Amino acid sequence: MLRICNIGKSFNNIAVLNDVSVHVEESSILGLAGPSGSGKSTLLRCIQGLEKPDAGSIKYDGKIGFMFQDFQLFPHMTVLQNLVYTPTRKAASEKKQQYIAKANTLLKELGIGAKAGNYPSTLSGGQKQRVALARSLMIDPDLLLCDEPTSGLDVATISDVVALLRKVHKRNVTIIIASHDLDFLVEICDRIMLLKSGQIIADVRPSQHTNTALHLKSFYDFSCDDAREQA
Amino acid sequence: MSKLLSDVFYIGSGAALTMELLVGGILLGLALGVVFAILRRYRWARPVICGLVSVIRGTPVLLQISIFYFILIPALFRCDLGIRATGIIALGINSAAYVSEILRGGIESLPKGQFEAAYALGIPPFYMWRDIILPQVIMNVLPSLVNETVSLLKETALIATIGGMDITRRAQAIAAARYEYFTPLCIAAVTYYALVRILEFIGKKIENRKLYAENM
Ligand SMILES: Nc1ncnc2c1ncn2[C@@H]1O[C@H](COP(=O)(O)OP(=O)(O)O)[C@@H](O)[C@H]1O
Ligand SMILES: [Mg+2]
Repeated sequence: MLRICNIGKSFNNIAVLNDVSVHVEESSILGLAGPSGSGKSTLLRCIQGLEKPDAGSIKYDGKIGFMFQDFQLFPHMTVLQNLVYTPTRKAASEKKQQYIAKANTLLKELGIGAKAGNYPSTLSGGQKQRVALARSLMIDPDLLLCDEPTSGLDVATISDVVALLRKVHKRNVTIIIASHDLDFLVEICDRIMLLKSGQIIADVRPSQHTNTALHLKSFYDFSCDDAREQA
Repeated sequence: MSKLLSDVFYIGSGAALTMELLVGGILLGLALGVVFAILRRYRWARPVICGLVSVIRGTPVLLQISIFYFILIPALFRCDLGIRATGIIALGINSAAYVSEILRGGIESLPKGQFEAAYALGIPPFYMWRDIILPQVIMNVLPSLVNETVSLLKETALIATIGGMDITRRAQAIAAARYEYFTPLCIAAVTYYALVRILEFIGKKIENRKLYAENM
């Protein structure tokens, strides 16, 4: 279980996360919704350890995988090398073959088996997305953090992402997704939290609402009006 | 005609020292340049590296070679390492300052996410630098590194100040002995130019291996 307790984070004295507490159950899919700038990415980055919170604590023991919004594949390595670099770095040579086999299986499962020898620059956005997902799965994470996994993808590719993340979830991986795409989050998440100016202002379970997106949008509009007033 | 040939041979054989200084200097320069560029990112080392780079870039190479030969090497090693080794050390350290600045630019222009991706995958710093960051940076700054190598080639001529018989020194020796400047100086110039073109050719070859190219 991931326990986030009262964390705070400021950049240049501007609070980006303010007293955020979340407990995430094992094998659940949590969505972080909220307008741009509300602190979703910062929260994910704090969980991964890419940012150090100024206050509060984050407790998790397990491996964490991170899928960056802009993928951050290693451009000088082929797709296969991107996947196997980390696990094979200190593995014995028989074990290396196993990892290569595992990577190839994973790529096939994700429908990009033929791209194993390609360099990332030759792939489409959706294909890069899959490689990024595959690379973070190679370390067998218990928790997968996805930052805006649907940004820049077309509708058909988004439904592929939903299917892929469901597959990952079947392996008992806990998933946290930051996205401003409410319909996408409602489709896949067990629970959605709405962030606004670094605070959680709503915490809903789609199973308990007839129209979660609409329910959340009411907060959204309220928060957007608020933002306009402040501006 | 045989005089011309013997001049070409005499001056051309100075290319051995020139190339030793160049290869030794650039290898030392690259190795130290990488160390400087990485250390510079750590707060405790930054003032030392910045100061060192500033002093090296702010003083003439000619002077640096003399300082190493007459002061630093005798003081540090308590013996004469010879002209060639001293030249390699002095030119290598000089080159390291420029190489580290070239690499710094390359490192700073790499997306921050590349470091973060390495961190998120649990790649330790040494491997991150060796396998993720530096290969990309070096490929990106390769043209500047080739430039630096060409500059260094021309700077090896300063070895004459401590008595090294390289291409330039040999051409000057013939000129001084015969009061004839045109032939020896032309031979020296053509030799350097040929070496520069070879370096550029090698640089292009390496650059063409850059498979991933354009949109990273
Ligand atoms: N490294 C940083 N330095 C300064 N400000 C930052 C930094 N990272 C994020 N911010 C600011 O924090 C706020 C929240 O950013 P972010 O967490 O990326 O929001 P979201 O992902 O919800 O769009 C934004 O106003 C952003 O400008
Ligand atoms: Mg974001």
